[in-house]
Amino acid sequence: MIAPSVTTMDTAPTGGRPKSRGSKRAWLFLSPLLILNGLVVLGPALATVYYAFTDWSGLGPATFIGFDNFTRAFADPAVHDALWHNVIWFVLFGSIPTAMGLLGAYLLSQVKRFQVLFRALYFIPYVVASVVNAAVWKMLLSPTSGIGHAMGIDHAWLGDPDTSLLSVNFVVDWHWWGFLAVVYLAAMQGVDPELYDAAKMDGANRWQQFTSVTLPGIRPTVVFLSLMTVIWTLKAFDYIFIMTGGGPAGSSEVVSTLMYKQAFNEYEAGYAAALGLTMTVIIGFVLAGYQYLKRKGWEE
Amino acid sequence: MNLAMNRRRLLGTAGLTALGLTAPGLLAACAGEEEPIVPGDNAQGKIDLWIDVQGDANQKYFTDNVVGNFEKARPKIDLNATFYKGEDLRRLIQTSLQAKSGPDVVRGPSATQTIAWSRAHILADLTPYAKKFGWESKLATWAMQAFTNDGKLYALPMRVDTMLLYYNKSLFATNGWQTPTNRSELEAIAADAHGKGIVPFGSSNVDWKAAGEWLMTVFWNHYSGPDALHQALSGQIQFTDPVFVEAVELVKSYFDKGWIAGGTDKYFSVPSTEIGANFGKGTVAMVPQGNWFMSQVGQYFGAKAKNDNEWDWMPMPALRQEVKYPLFEIGIGGSLAVNAASKNKDAAAEYLDWYYGDKAAALKRMADVPSTYNIPVDFADADIPSTIDARAGRVLTSVNKAVATGDYGYVTWTWWPPKTDVFIYEGLEQVLTGKLTPAQYCQQLADKFKAEKAEGNIPPLPARGPAK
Repeated sequence: MIAPSVTTMDTAPTGGRPKSRGSKRAWLFLSPLLILNGLVVLGPALATVYYAFTDWSGLGPATFIGFDNFTRAFADPAVHDALWHNVIWFVLFGSIPTAMGLLGAYLLSQVKRFQVLFRALYFIPYVVASVVNAAVWKMLLSPTSGIGHAMGIDHAWLGDPDTSLLSVNFVVDWHWWGFLAVVYLAAMQGVDPELYDAAKMDGANRWQQFTSVTLPGIRPTVVFLSLMTVIWTLKAFDYIFIMTGGGPAGSSEVVSTLMYKQAFNEYEAGYAAALGLTMTVIIGFVLAGYQYLKRKGWEE
Repeated sequence: MNLAMNRRRLLGTAGLTALGLTAPGLLAACAGEEEPIVPGDNAQGKIDLWIDVQGDANQKYFTDNVVGNFEKARPKIDLNATFYKGEDLRRLIQTSLQAKSGPDVVRGPSATQTIAWSRAHILADLTPYAKKFGWESKLATWAMQAFTNDGKLYALPMRVDTMLLYYNKSLFATNGWQTPTNRSELEAIAADAHGKGIVPFGSSNVDWKAAGEWLMTVFWNHYSGPDALHQALSGQIQFTDPVFVEAVELVKSYFDKGWIAGGTDKYFSVPSTEIGANFGKGTVAMVPQGNWFMSQVGQYFGAKAKNDNEWDWMPMPALRQEVKYPLFEIGIGGSLAVNAASKNKDAAAEYLDWYYGDKAAALKRMADVPSTYNIPVDFADADIPSTIDARAGRVLTSVNKAVATGDYGYVTWTWWPPKTDVFIYEGLEQVLTGKLTPAQYCQQLADKFKAEKAEGNIPPLPARGPAK
């Protein structure tokens, strides 16, 4: 009876102090970054929350208007169109590069020679600045001098409201799928080769090996990149802004380009902040869903 | 122990939250009324200017002939110029001014947008400096008035804008086309060119979304006419009037015939450099563009562009019998102002006084670089240096004459309020893609204009008739 209590009395202070000291030191080292983060991330983020409830023009003082910006957004056809374009963007951006990346990675994993060269080639579009890629593709898609024109197809890919969003998405998919392929390849190389041997012994063909060994083996990577894809879908901005500016007639407008226009062209920064806040809430739900699934062991 | 940690975390979070929530209030408080300015007599020190001068040659010219000459004239002041891309510059300056930072000399947007800036008290009141330096006697009254709000001058006009119809002179000669002065002559050439596989009017909004308002400026001025525009802008008639709707219908019909850009889809997708190259080659006959295009159009013609063609410009033909010819729209492309938060306003104002006050230097700049430096200083035709390109010189004399005789119209980016101005080109895209009819477009335009006019977001309009 006595011994344990003595042990507790002796060990508790000596074990607790260094831990507490270490913890304080850790916070001390972290504090500059936390303060910086508070100033450049948290401060503006909270300011955005505040401005979302005001009629701020982006200049001068702001007046509190409650939920007016949000009720306006719910009824605004431009927001509805932009959100719908985000959905289309998500479906395309979430499926095509992933499928191509998985296929490219799997095929590359079968190649012994020149694998590094192919990896580099796949990766190049991703490392080139988006502004350069977009500017080059804008010329390549010109109906009077681009690739299509050279092939006898004079379609204005970016100028036709029916194809503008799809054309920009094509360019984004083009720059993105190689990156996914390289990441998936790295993940595939971590799959135990003995599993493939066992599958072969069981008579599995290549497709069965891919679905039963490869995909389960790289599931954490696939899940993580899918999550990132959803977030990047909602953030889609640069290629659209440079290649079409959201046009023609809003046919390639997504919420982020609409926000930019509202804030800087229409002097409706409060409304833009409300749109931004709405998108943040949507992303928050996606992240919460991901965490939920992760805890349920979906990733493993 | 756990409770203590939670409390600390809670307090920390609350502190940061308070910081974040206070920040907007502080920003808003910072943007209050400014102190009255009393100009000093000993301007000196360093001043910053952010400016959208593009290309090495143009930047070198600015550094040597503007920065260099100013520092020679005012040796106590050090002018530090930083170059930015046009579209980025407005966003950067707007953000920095709101944060009580940014350049001392502000390269601002057009008159209509500058009103929004002045109302947010981020631009210094230049009225005391205008009195001190006598700017009213040096600059065109109509241009100064465009930047006056509630009796205070907030900026100075940076460049006089007008719309011209550029044409491939060699192509016109080859096809026996005479420069048209009315709609039927213009449409005859357009039909002939189109039949020969030549795009009659080159235009594109790929690199500048607002290019649509250039077209509307042309069609409203030369079809609807400046008198109707003056009435609409002063609230006597509405933009739903048939004379404005018909002008939009005419633009659309030109697109539908493939006369403008070769069609709507190409207008939205062929880059402007390609239009320029085709103009030089002779597969585009005419380009309705602003006078600023004069500093770029030369690159598409001659040995450098590997063709023997020549270019020139003509006034836009009258598109309706009742509209005068020749007629030149007038407006201001951008402004120069002083940052309300500048710690060296006197030196910034000295720069403005030098830039606008030295007429000989200003005219030399106008002669050296076509249209880029066309500030609205008062000058006679005889004052223009003989070294100027004849075509650029003709722009100066034509606009001067138009203002003096009252044969001038209005560019949308100066005389329309800001949100209405954005709708002019955003809404035109809807018309061209069939989402709005011309009548619906004009109705929405009228609604927006009415709301903004009621808020007072419109610059003072010069009265019809001869102006200074």
